This record gives sequence, structure tokens and C-alpha cells, in this order.
Amino acid sequence: MTVVPAQQGGSGGTSGLYDVLELVLDRGLVIDAFVRVSLVGIEILKIDIRVVVASVDTYLRFAEACNRLDLEAGPHRNPGLPDLVGDVTESGARGKTKGALSGAAQTISDAFKEARDDGERETKPRARRTTSRRKEEQE
Amino acid sequence: MTTYVYGIARRGHGRLPEQMGGIGDPPRPVRTVEQGELVALVSDAPEELKPKRRDLLAHQNVLAEAGAGGPVLPMRFGGVSTDDEAVRAVLAEHEERYLERLQALDGKVEYNVKATHDEEAVLHQVLADNAELRALSEANRKSGGGTYEDKLRLGERIAAAVQQRERTDAALVEQALRDAAEEQCPGPQSTGWLANISFLVPRESADEFIATVDRVRAQAPHLVVQVHGPLPPYSFTG
Repeated sequence: MTVVPAQQGGSGGTSGLYDVLELVLDRGLVIDAFVRVSLVGIEILKIDIRVVVASVDTYLRFAEACNRLDLEAGPHRNPGLPDLVGDVTESGARGKTKGALSGAAQTISDAFKEARDDGERETKPRARRTTSRRKEEQE
Repeated sequence: MTTYVYGIARRGHGRLPEQMGGIGDPPRPVRTVEQGELVALVSDAPEELKPKRRDLLAHQNVLAEAGAGGPVLPMRFGGVSTDDEAVRAVLAEHEERYLERLQALDGKVEYNVKATHDEEAVLHQVLADNAELRALSEANRKSGGGTYEDKLRLGERIAAAVQQRERTDAALVEQALRDAAEEQCPGPQSTGWLANISFLVPRESADEFIATVDRVRAQAPHLVVQVHGPLPPYSFTG
């Protein structure tokens, strides 16, 4: 259950800003008469994932990964058994799992995490690998 | 002094977080602007407002706090009005529509669900499902990993199979959760997810919704499913 109480308390808690950043920036009511703050530096983080997928890097990474994969369990085994994906099945997701196709992509939240350490700096895209961040905190 | 707007509520909301610290450094106190049946949750806007972490977080926190006490229409981050009077004019102009939305969102919260593949698990599945890919992979392994061209050929085929699976699994997540929510809406375009969907869920059904997510996790252990919520209904203000 990935619900974290709001810092100010109350049941309107959220999972941390980086997890919902795109909602805060892309959704919500917009009023035409108001001036909009420029989001330059954030919007360019929206890389089209297909560009990432159709890349030599991804192909090589997959080939290497398959090379290391233990298929001794046999093709007819139910994939994703606990011993294969141990930490994924533990109450959802904990650990360093990565989406197969997001290796070279940078998510908004990833860039944002870098900016967390420096509240005075705007987020800037960086080329680095995505690591999904997740929390498991009970309310 | 320009006015920053966090969200809009009914005048009878009663539990708006006035005096809470909002955007800016030092944080500008949150206050209200009332007009007819509506009230806007606002604060003075700093001279230079930029999408910095501190201010994004303040926006989100003010709305989370306000939403805990009753329905609120959350604004998108960064809406600045020339002054309080201009805010009143907007509230007056759209009063009917905003009241309708507030009515529709009463007692409901947003849950955002993002799903990715566990890489190892999905590769295992792809190979398990396709004898030809298995044979290719095995041949590469036997020859010490294969040549550069061998790897590319296999990798490209694997990537296509994984993408195919992403589409299938996106549909699986969407269908599994659809009935546990009142409304749904695709999340904003962002990379790294095979599914990013927001759901509008009545507060009293929240546990049920989370339980449904847990069932999806159990049924599809090759998926990594993240749930974020309860959130202000950002995706359902329209």
C-alpha cells in the first residue's frame, strides 16, 4: 500500500512529490485569464519512449540479459514465480526493478530526484538510467 | 501584488487550511477569496515563480490539506492572477460549472496507478512464450554470447516482443481496475511506464480499490504496480 500521510496530516496524503509530479504540472484546472508559469526545463523531459526502445543500446542490453537468464526452469513453467522475481512479489514492489524498456529513458521523477537536493535549482534533464522509486508505507 | 491560486471550493467547505504556509520563500500564508457560492484558496504570488521543488510541494500540500476537509477543484501548478479582484471575476463567471464539478467530485479522490515490467521476469516470459527466440538466445549463449550482429538480431526481436507485452499488460491493468473506480483517465504522457492511469474513487471504496490493485499484483507478478493516492482529483476537474 503506497499511501503516505500528508506532511501536514489529514487523509489527503500522497506518495511523495516525484511520484505525482506530472499530475501537478499537467492536470488540474486551468483558467485562461490567469498567467501561466513557464515550465521550461520540465516539459522537455518527456522523451518519447519509442525512441528509446528502437535503439541499439536496448537491443544489446536485452541480448545480454537473455544470456544471463536462467531458463533451466523450463519454458512451460509459470513465469514470474517467486524465486525468479523474488522482491517483486513482496507486497507489491520493493527493490531495484526497472521497466524493461525504460533503461535509457529518463522519467520526470528521475530528474526531479536530482533536483531534490537543491531546492534552489530548477530541474534539468540529465542522461542517466532510470530507477523506479517506490515506497511501502502503511497509513 | 499578484495572486496565486491553489484551488476552488464551496463557500461552505469550512475546513480550508488558512494561514498554512504556501508557495514562496518564506512561504506566503494561504488565504481565501470569496465570491458567491465559491471560495478560492490563494496566497500572494512571489515575484518570480518557477517550478521549483519547494513550490510544487507547497501547491500539492495545500491541496491535500484542503481536500481532506471537503471537495476542492485543484488548479494546475503555476496559475497566477493579476489580483484578488480578477479571481473573483473568474469565480463569478464560471460559478455554475465549478459548483457542478465540486458536486461531482464530492467524497472522491484520485488514485494514480503506474505499471512497469520487472525486466528479468518479462524477458523470462517472452522467451518462455516463443521457442524461436529461445533457440536464438540459446545459440548465442553457446557461442559465448554471440557476435555483435547476433546480439542485435536477438535484442531487436526481444524488444518487439516486450513491447507487444507492454500493450497487453497495459490493457490488463486498465481492465482489472476499471470496475473498482467511478471514472478513469490516462495519465499524462511520460516515459518509463507501460501503464499510467488515474482513477476517480469514492473515499469509502478506497480500500476496495487498493485490494483490487493487490490482486493484479498477485495475478501478474511480472508487473511492478505502483499506486499513488489518495490525491486531489487533478485529472477530473474538466
